[in-house]
Amino acid sequence: MAQEFRLLVVTPETTLLDQSIQSLRCTLFDGQIGIIPGRMPMVGRLGYGELVFRAEDGSESSYFVDGGFLQVQGNVISVLTEQAVPVSELNGSEAEQQLQEALARPAIGDEQCDARERDQLRARAIISLTGQK
Amino acid sequence: MAKARAIVKRLKAVKNIRKITRTMELIATARFKKAMDRASEAAAYTQKISELVSDLSQANLEFHHPLLEKHESEKNSVLLVLTSNRGLCGGYNSGVLKLALNRYKELKQSGQNVRLEISGKRGISFLKYQDTSAAETYTHFEDRPTYEEVDELASRYITEYIEGKIDRLDVAYTEFISSSKQQAAVHSLLPIGALDTSETTADTITTKYDYEFLPSAQEILNEIVPTAFKARLFKCFLDAAVSEQISRMVAMKGATENANEMVGLLSAQYNRARQSQITSEILEIIGGAAALE
Repeated sequence: MAQEFRLLVVTPETTLLDQSIQSLRCTLFDGQIGIIPGRMPMVGRLGYGELVFRAEDGSESSYFVDGGFLQVQGNVISVLTEQAVPVSELNGSEAEQQLQEALARPAIGDEQCDARERDQLRARAIISLTGQK
Repeated sequence: MAKARAIVKRLKAVKNIRKITRTMELIATARFKKAMDRASEAAAYTQKISELVSDLSQANLEFHHPLLEKHESEKNSVLLVLTSNRGLCGGYNSGVLKLALNRYKELKQSGQNVRLEISGKRGISFLKYQDTSAAETYTHFEDRPTYEEVDELASRYITEYIEGKIDRLDVAYTEFISSSKQQAAVHSLLPIGALDTSETTADTITTKYDYEFLPSAQEILNEIVPTAFKARLFKCFLDAAVSEQISRMVAMKGATENANEMVGLLSAQYNRARQSQITSEILEIIGGAAALE
């Protein structure tokens, strides 16, 4: 490929990934988005879910992304997220517990309902990812 | 003989202390480097966030978010004080605590209910001594504060602020300016005045992108404001950790140098004491011999 296409994954603690890729697929707030070189500049909100990228050598790596933002700027994709975990390191049973806890939790007011929903979404995303393996 | 003995004893004690301070200096240096690396890695995130914010501001939005807005009356405020768990770091803690105490009194005088939250054993014991009660104390932030731990705190502040339980958040900590300059400071983190966009404008002017926003710029803004706040609070913790190690390094360096000086002084004293002792002994022997003749 003539054009270099770079992926940056930045978390508050460190720059997790900084490498050239061929393509990227990740979960936005409302569904998946695929990005290949030449994408129009965009800023998007990420949901809880998978981030898959195909490296230069064609191998695919998959991460779980814990919300955040996606920015495409020319040839650079920046992913800002609070946490990115390789899918192989996810813990499905723990997420199952969190889901049960979130389902059982009483919530009063908009804030708490939102928080409960967020926790459920997050736990479900982890469970579905670990289930795929 | 008694005087020389006493000096030898002191000399040994000073040498032992020198060993300890020297080791502490080395440890602080190593920790400082680690903390510094972490801080510079974390800077990438903060920079990206402010970049995004400046991109958003190009979209001609009105910045509306509960965290950005000042509450009409300030009644309840929170003062978060970041100190270290361990001592022997020079004026690090006293600098922060002095400022914090001043701010605390100021807020009290203006008739506010101030909730004091302290991180670090040094701060806790100091304020206990001042008869000021702290609402919350934390001792689990060591020299490697993790984002998760800070996130927990930050989320609590955000909900409390939005629900109107608190009207203001101040943080007293040591600001890291450069490796040779750190300064105790009190900053107001909530309400977030204006989001910083000035830092990045210089280099983004040349590269203006016409972004597509998903879902909409406004919604992204709603999401990014709390994130920016969390990143800021996290930066305070990282700054404090780096500054602590630097001030410990400097303090221990000074202590080692003092010990070196003292060792020199004491050994000179010891030599003199020994010499005068020998002289007086010889005089006694000569005197005794002369009396026998």
